[in-house]
Amino acid sequence: MSASFRPDFNVELSSRALGPNVPQRIGRLLWAPMLVMAVMAFPLGLAIGIARANLVATGGDAAMIAALGHLGPAAMFVGFAAVFAAISFAIARILGVLRAGGGQVQEAAGRRVQTLRMPPTAWAFIGLMAMAMMVILAGVAGNVVVGASIAGGSTDLLAQSDGWAIWFEGVRRIGVALYLVAIALGLATIIEALRFQAIRLRELPAESAD
Amino acid sequence: MALTFGALTRPRSESEVREPSRHRTIGLSVAAVGLALATISLINSIVAGDLARQAVSADQVGSLGAWSFGLTTAAFATVKLAIGLILLGIVRRIWLRVESVKASLPGLIRARASDTAPLGEFESDFGPATATATAPRPLLIHRLAGLMWAPMLAMGVMLVHAGLLLSFVVAGNVAADPALASSQRAWVQGLQFLGEGLLLSGISFLLGTILGAIRAGGGEVQESLGLTVRTLRMPLTARLFIALMMVGFMVEIAQFVGYAYIATIPGTADYTVFSTWLGPLRELGLGTLLSGIVLALATIARALGFQFARISQIITSGR
Repeated sequence: MSASFRPDFNVELSSRALGPNVPQRIGRLLWAPMLVMAVMAFPLGLAIGIARANLVATGGDAAMIAALGHLGPAAMFVGFAAVFAAISFAIARILGVLRAGGGQVQEAAGRRVQTLRMPPTAWAFIGLMAMAMMVILAGVAGNVVVGASIAGGSTDLLAQSDGWAIWFEGVRRIGVALYLVAIALGLATIIEALRFQAIRLRELPAESAD
Repeated sequence: MALTFGALTRPRSESEVREPSRHRTIGLSVAAVGLALATISLINSIVAGDLARQAVSADQVGSLGAWSFGLTTAAFATVKLAIGLILLGIVRRIWLRVESVKASLPGLIRARASDTAPLGEFESDFGPATATATAPRPLLIHRLAGLMWAPMLAMGVMLVHAGLLLSFVVAGNVAADPALASSQRAWVQGLQFLGEGLLLSGISFLLGTILGAIRAGGGEVQESLGLTVRTLRMPLTARLFIALMMVGFMVEIAQFVGYAYIATIPGTADYTVFSTWLGPLRELGLGTLLSGIVLALATIARALGFQFARISQIITSGR
């Protein structure tokens, strides 16, 4: 295998098709477990919301209402973190199929295999996705700590519950925005992979078979 | 109308093959704008949270919270619109790739088979598939997706931005007329999350359009070479995707109706109780739509895998 710089794309040259790279293999493995986690977390968040509404309606314990006000969004955003991770992994899986499949076609045609190296958008996709996941989970952890402390009898935190809730909400929201931008970068990478394939396919008939 | 959307999704000229995608560039720029809006909202939340912890002014916190909510949701909508634009670029690239396969495949076939492959159902490495003499007609869901993605995205953007404008009005009314502000806040939440639901539905329809393009393009290529047309049948993930999209969108309509109702009863105990569970409900709806999107992406990966295997098979066996 060797690195080759075409004027238009940064590619790897090989005689055989390359398989998916590590992030793409992780994507293939993890998209489904992440989806399952999300599908479990969303109803839990709704159930906590309904329980809290019931306490509000029946004049229940103020501390428990405040605690559930933290724990409900925490469950819901575990779901969002998981579903965005599942989307990101599914995009990585598509990129893996494009990488491996493009190589297979070139190999089947008996031509030298050119494989697109990871473009900057793919690196940014991975970095931003990891950052977004950590930011959302930081907000969730804050909600869980404050919620559990209020449920455990902390009057100081109960008095400041609204302020903490607003802060954690802000943190979770920026995490979601980062995740959405990461997904946009992942999809932009798919466009680049498809552009390379369309160009590469047109080059193949003019090249001599091995 | 369908013709117009068709022109948007399928390039008329092959000269675009080498050009970098404009949809990609514009989409990433729009996404950056969305992220900037979300950052402004984060700063606002930090200030509002600090004021709330110091118990300085409930009106001031309420006012900041009102427009912060509107702005954050608009920021999310902006990035989702960007994702829609990039998906549109993907659809166009898939069609350009189809044209490239059509142009190059005849020169790549290494063996010519004298017989033709049998027709009918068969089990492929990627799931159940069918072999036909001609390219299959587009599925109803693919035709629907091709028609619906643009109106869904347009309506979503309009509703979210209508909610954003109303959130600024709410911010001005929090101290002056709390009951009116409560009523308007309910409209903001209902409108903006219905808009978010429409945007995610638009994205889902674009993913359906991508699946339709992969299916139709694969059929076109095989038929143009006079080969048996092998097509992947709709996998379970695709069926679940459609179901989740419908359920998620219905939940978003339900939350809108709920907020429209509580907008008529501001300041009452019922208002507080309803808004306590309507928040998680609207998020459940978005989560359901996003779960459907995961399955659509998984289906795209499977369909592409089937297509690569089929192209390789044509090259090596000529049938």
